[in-house]
Amino acid sequence: MVFEPPADAASTLTSVGIDVGTTTTHLVVSELAVESAGVSGAEKLEIGDRTVCFRGPVHETPLLTPEAVDIERVAEHIDADLAAAGVAPEDIDTGAVIVTGETARTANAEPLAHQLADENGSFVVATAGAALEAILAGQGAGSATHAADSETTIANVDVGGGTTNTAIFDVDGVIETRCLNVGGRLVGVADGKLTKLADPARRVSEKHSLDLSVGKPVDAEKLSRLAAAMASLVIDSLLGPPYNQLTLQLSIGPLPKKPLEVDAIVFTGGVGRLVGEYTISTASADPFAYNDLGPLLAEALAETAADSQLSVIRLSEDLRATVIGAGTHTTRLSGRTICVDSELLPLRNLPVISAGSLAEIDDSALTATFSTVFSQATRWYDVRDVGGVAVGIEELGELSYDRLQEVAVSFASALNDNYPPSVPIVVVTEQNCAKALGQLLEARCVDWPLTVIDELAVGTGSYLDIGEPLTHSETVPAVVKTLVFGE
Amino acid sequence: MATNNSPDELDEVLDRIAERNPSRLGVGRAGSRPRTPTLLEFRSDHGVARDAVHSHVSDELIETMELFAVQTLVEDKDEYLARPDKGREISEATAELLRDSCQRAPQVQLIVADGLSSTAVERNIPDLLPILTDGLDQRGLDVGTPVFVTYGRVDVMDAIGEEIDAECCVILIGERPGLATAESLSAYMVYGPERGTPTAKKTVISNIHDGGLPPVEAGAEIADLVDEMCDKQASGLDLTSADREFAKD
Repeated sequence: MVFEPPADAASTLTSVGIDVGTTTTHLVVSELAVESAGVSGAEKLEIGDRTVCFRGPVHETPLLTPEAVDIERVAEHIDADLAAAGVAPEDIDTGAVIVTGETARTANAEPLAHQLADENGSFVVATAGAALEAILAGQGAGSATHAADSETTIANVDVGGGTTNTAIFDVDGVIETRCLNVGGRLVGVADGKLTKLADPARRVSEKHSLDLSVGKPVDAEKLSRLAAAMASLVIDSLLGPPYNQLTLQLSIGPLPKKPLEVDAIVFTGGVGRLVGEYTISTASADPFAYNDLGPLLAEALAETAADSQLSVIRLSEDLRATVIGAGTHTTRLSGRTICVDSELLPLRNLPVISAGSLAEIDDSALTATFSTVFSQATRWYDVRDVGGVAVGIEELGELSYDRLQEVAVSFASALNDNYPPSVPIVVVTEQNCAKALGQLLEARCVDWPLTVIDELAVGTGSYLDIGEPLTHSETVPAVVKTLVFGE
Repeated sequence: MATNNSPDELDEVLDRIAERNPSRLGVGRAGSRPRTPTLLEFRSDHGVARDAVHSHVSDELIETMELFAVQTLVEDKDEYLARPDKGREISEATAELLRDSCQRAPQVQLIVADGLSSTAVERNIPDLLPILTDGLDQRGLDVGTPVFVTYGRVDVMDAIGEEIDAECCVILIGERPGLATAESLSAYMVYGPERGTPTAKKTVISNIHDGGLPPVEAGAEIADLVDEMCDKQASGLDLTSADREFAKD
């Protein structure tokens, strides 16, 4: 006899992922299973199986000008895709909109992300940032799972239209990211002429004295050399340090200071999926079928990787890796015993400031530590305007009544001196103590709307979204994310 | 994925699994028997478990926590183990003492009992009780004189609650120790305690210890549950999780 648990609406979440990239825009709908994990008494809800149930068509990202996305038309595509998926926006529980690559630098990227997030579902969050993009691509492609299952170190290299975002995973998860301004759409080709040579491509061209300029007839040999030069920068970014000077110039965010042994590479993204598929010698197809450098770059990447003795493997998802990552891996669940002011929820885009670990800080210095955190918060952000801040605490020290009381007293005193009343304040702890800390803080911080959640790690510079509690549970969905536009 | 792991790699894999699991994994063997360190560790853990059952909660703890100490009908540890029925009942003299010395008819009666692990009481009560009391005070609930019961079983809370005429009772009691931990505490709660109240009417939070639900977090959780019990005038299955109001409507 097969035992079937009763169908429970709360046991799955419908999640949407929307990726508005340099070249393409697409959407996926997934079902996330909510499961109970952990030992009795300290159970925690977790997201278990992730099933992608709808993969939307790939749209060209509509632009008004090279510097501005056509928000209206993007929204139309999303509406049409959701209708095709048979999902109404109000059926969507969670998910993420990610504005990626060059699109994240357009003038209206930020309002675009927030608008799409607000319009589609009750708790869909807006995100951006090359490092996040790299990690989501690796999770969406299955590289993270593959690294964990095979106990190897995998570099997931997501090569898109404007950027190449690499995330490196080992058995325990992501280790680091390496992002570069290299992509297939940095070069445009139409009617046998060069129509676009974006700044990063121009720099590579100049460095190699290729004498390329917009308007000139296409020279396939020169463009192959450009692609080869770009590919070598990508591989250089994986193998370094030391890095090529140009790699450093084109990097997005800092590159790691230590080299790393990688067992295999997975290429994903619009260009990445062509790696190993496309070679000029065998292809009867026009290398400029996409009106860009994509196929040539893919071919060059395959060759350069082989020359460097790097093993390249293929996993199931390539083109849609980032959007699947956005739809299935952004939402996390808090611990089960938490202290929330549900009138405040959902909370969106709260900047996070981490107080770090308090384990080594004794009672007398706690107030000063929290004062620094709050004065940073008010200096960096207009806290009223952004709707409050979230304070991360890595470790409180021993989870004793006395210690928690010390922390609560210091926190309240620092809050009182440094933070405007009535502005929401969220505390995020990694240890399971939100309810206790919440109770102690509530008694001492009556002038502030307060929420304390636990069993989540957050870092300074990230942003936090908290959704409404799951049905019949005291767990809230939470997203820790980056919002880096115009990097 | 199938890979040909070297013996070293297999050791690493096994270590990783064993690290995430409190079970005695990959401990090896000597012929058909456990190895000496394994056997010693097992005996030592068993000794800790036996000590938890047979030791007594210190007077110091009872004093520091300001508990009013009484005893069930049980005379000693042997009788405690042999006669669970006696661990659920108090003598008429004890009942009278409770009625005379403790606050009558409180909303919440807190009871601490040794149960099957005095170690659990010693380890968890100092962090759990104060935050629980704070939480109940903060919610404006009237908390009676906290009581300590020697040789107590869970249902002794029915007898004590009935005698004192409490609206609801919470008993914090040492759990039967295992070989993984001897420090685990449970909290049982009942609304409208009276002798013979079935288990189905009781709410429980178990596995309270450093490696499970931290005692300080448990205290805050119990305060929340008690508040809800008083509000809904129910406990146990009558207060199923489905009725708990967490979601915003």
